[in-house]
Amino acid sequence: MPVELGAARILVPASIRRGDVIDVRALVEHPMATGLFRDAQGNPIPAHFINDVSVTYGDHEAAHFVWSSGISRDPFVEFSLRADREAPLTFTWKDNKGGVFQQSVDIRFI
Amino acid sequence: MSAFSRRLFLHASGLAFLGVAARHLAALGRPRSSDDVPWKVQQVLKQLFGDRAVQHGHVQLDVPTVAADGRVVPVMIESDLPMAPDRYVKAVHLLVDNNPDIHLAEFRLTPQIGQAFVSTRIKMRMTSPVRAVVETSDGALWGAAADVRVTVNGCG
Repeated sequence: MPVELGAARILVPASIRRGDVIDVRALVEHPMATGLFRDAQGNPIPAHFINDVSVTYGDHEAAHFVWSSGISRDPFVEFSLRADREAPLTFTWKDNKGGVFQQSVDIRFI
Repeated sequence: MSAFSRRLFLHASGLAFLGVAARHLAALGRPRSSDDVPWKVQQVLKQLFGDRAVQHGHVQLDVPTVAADGRVVPVMIESDLPMAPDRYVKAVHLLVDNNPDIHLAEFRLTPQIGQAFVSTRIKMRMTSPVRAVVETSDGALWGAAADVRVTVNGCG
């Protein structure tokens, strides 16, 4: 399965009311190579993994994750968020080779 | 070497072997589980938290008992500790004893997160205890551990 590096999806509930604690799910396509595997020709596959994730809500950082290559391929994370204002929720994934991938979703109230 | 000393040697080595075997059998009888924290994991905990002790409780760790594929093992960590502006869970640490990288991930949270809950999918090299340690803003540490049996190596 080819990986489209950095393609990301963020899922938040369709209807949010002010003050709700909502469920946020995010997935980014990434090989998360540990550096311990070899390819079919026997050559080592170099380590290539996301090691830093920043989640900002409006202009504040709401969460920050530090990962090792032990997170599975196409890393998925789910957590909660107190939706107390209408603002963009932005994920920034950074990998050990300098790759930066970003995706946003707008938190809007009904 | 005379026949006498050779017999003596064989007897002695036989006894020594029995001694070692008995010790191994005793070790087999004792359940090795997440209750024992191996030295290598203690070192990682010391690096992360210094001499602060990890207490049991306030953390719920959901992992499968048996993971068919070590490349994708779902993990869910939840805590009933408050997420108030003055007192909150500031970090959730995930450790896997028998992985090449024991400290697998750290999730730093803020009161904005609303509820101390994190779910993800991890790789596991082999059967191992999985540990979650929750760190509060006032420095307290709460932990939970569970054993996961792995049948397919997910780390290489």
